[in-house]
Amino acid sequence: MESLAIYVPRLVTIKEYFAPGHRACMGCGEALAVRLVCKALGRNIIIANATGCMEIVSSPLPSTSWEVPWIHTLFENTAAVASGIEAGIKILTRKGKYNNKTKVVAMAGDGGTADIGFQALSGALERGHDFIYICFDNEAYMNTGIQRSSSTPFGASTTTSPAGKVSIGQTTWKKDLPAIAVAHGIPYVATACHSYPFDLMNKINKAVEVNGPSYIHILSVCPTGWRLASDLTIRAGRLAVETGIFPIYEVEGDRYTLNLDFPKLRPIEDYFKLQGRFRHLSKETISQIQERVAAKYSKLKERAARNNYQQ
Amino acid sequence: MEKRDKIIEIRWHGRGGQGAVTSAELLALAAIEEGKFAQAFPSFGPERRGAPVLVFNRVSDKTPIRARVSVINPDIVVILDPGLIYITDVTAGLKEGGVIVINTTKAVVDIKSEFNGSWKLAVVNATSIARDTIGVPIVNTTMLGALVKATDIIELESLAEPLKERFGARAKGNSDACHRAYKETEIAELSGVVKKPTKTFETETFPSWQELLPGSVIPEAGNAKQYRTGDWKSESPIWDHQKCIKCGICYLFCPEGCIGQNKDGYFEANPYYCKGCGICARECWTEAIKMVEEE
Repeated sequence: MESLAIYVPRLVTIKEYFAPGHRACMGCGEALAVRLVCKALGRNIIIANATGCMEIVSSPLPSTSWEVPWIHTLFENTAAVASGIEAGIKILTRKGKYNNKTKVVAMAGDGGTADIGFQALSGALERGHDFIYICFDNEAYMNTGIQRSSSTPFGASTTTSPAGKVSIGQTTWKKDLPAIAVAHGIPYVATACHSYPFDLMNKINKAVEVNGPSYIHILSVCPTGWRLASDLTIRAGRLAVETGIFPIYEVEGDRYTLNLDFPKLRPIEDYFKLQGRFRHLSKETISQIQERVAAKYSKLKERAARNNYQQ
Repeated sequence: MEKRDKIIEIRWHGRGGQGAVTSAELLALAAIEEGKFAQAFPSFGPERRGAPVLVFNRVSDKTPIRARVSVINPDIVVILDPGLIYITDVTAGLKEGGVIVINTTKAVVDIKSEFNGSWKLAVVNATSIARDTIGVPIVNTTMLGALVKATDIIELESLAEPLKERFGARAKGNSDACHRAYKETEIAELSGVVKKPTKTFETETFPSWQELLPGSVIPEAGNAKQYRTGDWKSESPIWDHQKCIKCGICYLFCPEGCIGQNKDGYFEANPYYCKGCGICARECWTEAIKMVEEE
């Protein structure tokens, strides 16, 4: 392994903190995202991980995939447990019993963030604990069998919002969690996707440097729940960004930066036709979604442009 | 008083995503349609798509079925994936005179040597039948046809209604697959006595629950490495060294983290962990990686 000095391996650490042998589905985007996040975080961290796919596949007792201190928490209290760990470290440091700048990281899925763990997250962000909250968003409760969450996009068919003769699938719009995090006035908020690994790892590195709470929202493609072939994971993530459905941006204080900007967005059909969960959508529904995506994207672009002007 | 009839017990060996659960349910529904008693239920761990799955059936003509436990001594074993016979003891507890129904590309004479015991062996190339009739290599309904041929546990016609209800517009392909498998299944009698299995299967050395520390603490970091996920795959990646530019994009995008560099600088996947998702082949700039079917 000494000749790892070419291209990619020169740019990232070859150390793995998320060991193989985990039971994630083949082609799991979330497992890839976790692997990249762990590479970027390094050794000096403590992770509190909510119940969900990543907890189930990585730690079926008595085995674990984690090579860093890791604790399993419930759906609802991930941010609270992370706050507690951070407070503990703070006290021990003050008493002189611990002198290691250990970063505390909370990880959860979209269900554990947008639905069940929402109030704990809001509380922790408001109290200003020095920790990173990472949401791995696969857009439904995939672990229990593809039930809708408030992060499921409009029109997606899940087992609790099935498409049929009358229903078009999910009838509500995706909850904009990064915007909610921004509204707390925290120092760092970012969105990322595993299809852009260097952007993702840069953002994690930035969040580690931040003093105070930071929130990172990572779109994680789920081949099983989105009903697409397992080798299309990376392509689907890339299309989500290129179509403007999941724009990649970061907010430092109130400064917006659009990390990946496209002169012209691809039509959202390109993204939808890959996936079985959108197969039933009619032309009218798609154009309705397209309009909304374009509006949201231009709003974001405007914000980013305003910052550049002020500079 | 009527004589108590026998409860026939079936164990299905499949992989997550192959539809073993569905086929066991269809079988139970068809048996109930005939006025029999039946049950179907799966058993699996936290594993996902591609991992080995067990499903159980019980069918009886007149006796209500009270048992709610998994099948230990089956009368019939159905194997949906040929690779499973090398990683689990599929014939464990199979009764004398029992039936093995297996999906394989091999002929009866070639696969015979894998089993020893006084059993009946039914062989069908379900993967190719499913590809022809349904269009995808999902073999559950095809194997139902083979099972009915080998055991006459139910009538083939009784499956029509449950199939229609389950698959709707796609019922025709599935029912065609079922009928073709019924015709093409080959059956052979195996001779010999049931011996203790000579093959040994790799097992992990995880601590048992008695040895765990309080609070379920696992002191050995990353011990999931012992767990083999490599046998989930049906295709494995092969690198073409002529085209490979050693950029390492495959290494970066592997969800398992199982791709590493050999001493010549070329990348290769560790077959112990590779699940065969195909991301590396799809993302390779120079198309140096090909997915090759496993046997």
